[in-house]
Amino acid sequence: MTEIELLNWARGPGLQIATIIFVAGVVIRIIEILMLGRKPNLAEAKGSEMSAGLKTMVSRTVPDRATFKRSSFTITAGYFFHLGLFITFFLFAPHILLIKDVIGFGWPALPTPVVDAFAVITIISLLAVLVNRLTNKVMRYLTNFGDLLTWFLTLAPLITGYIAFHRIGFTAPTLLAMHILSVELLLVVFPFTKLMHAFTLFLARWYNGAISGYRGVAS
Amino acid sequence: MSASLDKGINALKQQVDATVAAFFSSCVHCGICAEACLFYTETGDPERTPINKTEPLRRIWKSEYTLMGRLGKLFGLGKKVDDKLLADWETLVYDSCTMCGRCSMVCPVGNDITLMIRKTREGMAAAGHAPEGLIGASKRSVTIGSPMGVKLPALLAQVRHVEEDTGLKVPLDVVGAEYMLLLSSMEIMNFPEFIGAIAKIFDRANVSWTISTEAFEATNSGIQIGVSDIAAELVQRIVDAAEKLRVKTVISPECGHAYMAIRWDGPNLVGKKFGFKVRHVLEVLDDLRQQGRLKTSGMEKGKLTYHDPCQISRRGGVIDEPRRLIDMVSDNFVEMPDHGKMNWCCGAGGGVSANERADEIRLKVFQRKKDQFDAIRPDAIVSACSNCRIHLEDGLEEYNMDIPLLSLTEMIAEHLAGDDRAGAA
Amino acid sequence: MKDIGNDADFRQVLQALDPMQQRQVAAVFVEHVLSLSGDKRLDHVIRTVADSEASEFELSGALKTAKAVTFDSHARCGAEGHWSEQAGYFVARAVVAACTPPAQTRAGGAAWQAAMSARMAHTSMLIDDVSSEQSAHTECEWQYRAMRDYLNAQAEGK
Repeated sequence: MTEIELLNWARGPGLQIATIIFVAGVVIRIIEILMLGRKPNLAEAKGSEMSAGLKTMVSRTVPDRATFKRSSFTITAGYFFHLGLFITFFLFAPHILLIKDVIGFGWPALPTPVVDAFAVITIISLLAVLVNRLTNKVMRYLTNFGDLLTWFLTLAPLITGYIAFHRIGFTAPTLLAMHILSVELLLVVFPFTKLMHAFTLFLARWYNGAISGYRGVAS
Repeated sequence: MSASLDKGINALKQQVDATVAAFFSSCVHCGICAEACLFYTETGDPERTPINKTEPLRRIWKSEYTLMGRLGKLFGLGKKVDDKLLADWETLVYDSCTMCGRCSMVCPVGNDITLMIRKTREGMAAAGHAPEGLIGASKRSVTIGSPMGVKLPALLAQVRHVEEDTGLKVPLDVVGAEYMLLLSSMEIMNFPEFIGAIAKIFDRANVSWTISTEAFEATNSGIQIGVSDIAAELVQRIVDAAEKLRVKTVISPECGHAYMAIRWDGPNLVGKKFGFKVRHVLEVLDDLRQQGRLKTSGMEKGKLTYHDPCQISRRGGVIDEPRRLIDMVSDNFVEMPDHGKMNWCCGAGGGVSANERADEIRLKVFQRKKDQFDAIRPDAIVSACSNCRIHLEDGLEEYNMDIPLLSLTEMIAEHLAGDDRAGAA
Repeated sequence: MKDIGNDADFRQVLQALDPMQQRQVAAVFVEHVLSLSGDKRLDHVIRTVADSEASEFELSGALKTAKAVTFDSHARCGAEGHWSEQAGYFVARAVVAACTPPAQTRAGGAAWQAAMSARMAHTSMLIDDVSSEQSAHTECEWQYRAMRDYLNAQAEGK
């Protein structure tokens, strides 16, 4: 297969397959959760479930002071790479064009040098995150194959994207193909890993807020 | 209570609902929950990371309720739940956890890890992997009516003593009273003056109340060991008595888990809404204060602070009431660093104090509370749970700190206006 | 000499005593129920309490020991409670009340608190010992008599 054929496959059938598996997988995982249901609460309520749940969906993004002091590295590094991922994916002109092709509209991009800088910051953050995961006592104990796999799957698109943009090492078509393929790999594995938290965390936070809110506590 | 691994696995299966599935799906192994748990912060043992305590439940969720997990099970892959796992997890789930709820407050993806640990206990207990002390307490609760074996004659003897001390009558089995007071065995045995304090306050505020001789025990060992059937049976006794006496409100005393059991779990355990309200004694006192029926005089000397009992504050929702009550009798109140819903557990709730095997670790983790007290150096600590009280005192003594522990209800009673004996301290 | 026939009078009389006297009277109440506690540490403590010459240092040491005894003897939450052992807990509490300095004593004063705990010790013993001829009021009566004897002795300028 020539590199152009590879690129065309990656952009075409490859992307389609990956997207289908991704969407189907995410939907199945979410249905799996919701189907289990929740027993109604028969105790006399002290507060509202819905509003408390919605509040926690947002408020849990901000750690309380004492928690931040104790886990400042984990939290800071986590914020850096999440923000970085958001910027490099959603605010990069070529990506926005791709999205526009699919959903019909786009939005303004950040200047490319800025995105480029954030890509570097994000890669460094992810490396720091790995070091933390392997040296922090608690994280080392909790870490399993899934954690390492997802770390790799998240880092790969960033690195391949960076070297594709800077034309390092290979020809442009090959670099682009590698980048797209790395994204497709991420999409395909995503629904079967903890990366699902990107969707399920909204459910989890809502439940948490609702359960506490019912009892009159803002969590 | 015949136990078996199969029963345990079935119990775990039943415990998985949408919330559990959402929680396990979202955990990213960040480890932040460990830093919220005093059993980790004071020991440095990563096994005690809260989310790790739920491993038995997680394996069941994975293999029974996820596509990949079920596929894996077909091929004999995936981690199983066996007796060895449950035996290894016993000290994590029981000795190293009070179900205090701090982990649930800090998890960035929003997991209610405390709820997951409570559910894990259902499986552990059904499989026979619960601590000796808790099994005994549960048996006594069911057969005698009290986890500590407190029978009616003992209660009556304490009531008589209280009547002598206060000169007031303690109304028993009064049909149509507005409030029915429950008591914990700890109060009956160790702090009977609580009953006297209630009698004085209610007499002064003209409150119609009673104690039922058929159901006076507030402590619910079923909640602590994690056997919902036992918990339900204990709640039903209270429901029957409350309905028989046709009371409007049942009062949960100064005991942590009792409040959770009757106020929040109760109707869900017995499967029916209550025909009466349930309130914590502090909520009742605060209501009286708001209605102007609770008048106090005199102020406590010295700097006071409040230790929030986990099941009443963070898990129960009674956070502001105690502070409003303390404000009535103190103008020198100081909050601990991390107070209110983020206060740290005393280390003894959730069955830990009933478990002798956990004595060493319980005293070790008290260091967290010691640090809080050291930061503000109070003259006295007020709380509203008999178990917290006695274990904070125990810990303070172990670390050579001389700070008295006060019951909030008893403190209010000592300051009742119009009492020429008020404000002696 | 006013007769003490009820708790209101009893409490009034106790509260009229000065701190030293309260301590001595408290010691009298405690000694009467001391046998209900198996903890030998309390014997030494109560001797210190009853001693009018005891220094502040000795008293604070006594208080610390008494508190330690209460922690060792209280019923554990969830553990099977034995009222006869609980009697020992209340004896220890009575001793704690007796040696608590006036500034930290709760309502009623040291002697009243000690009297109440001593009665609780007696009541606890009775809960486990149903065959006893005594009633809860027996201890109460004894305390009134003891108080009267103490006041008489004081009046005679002993």
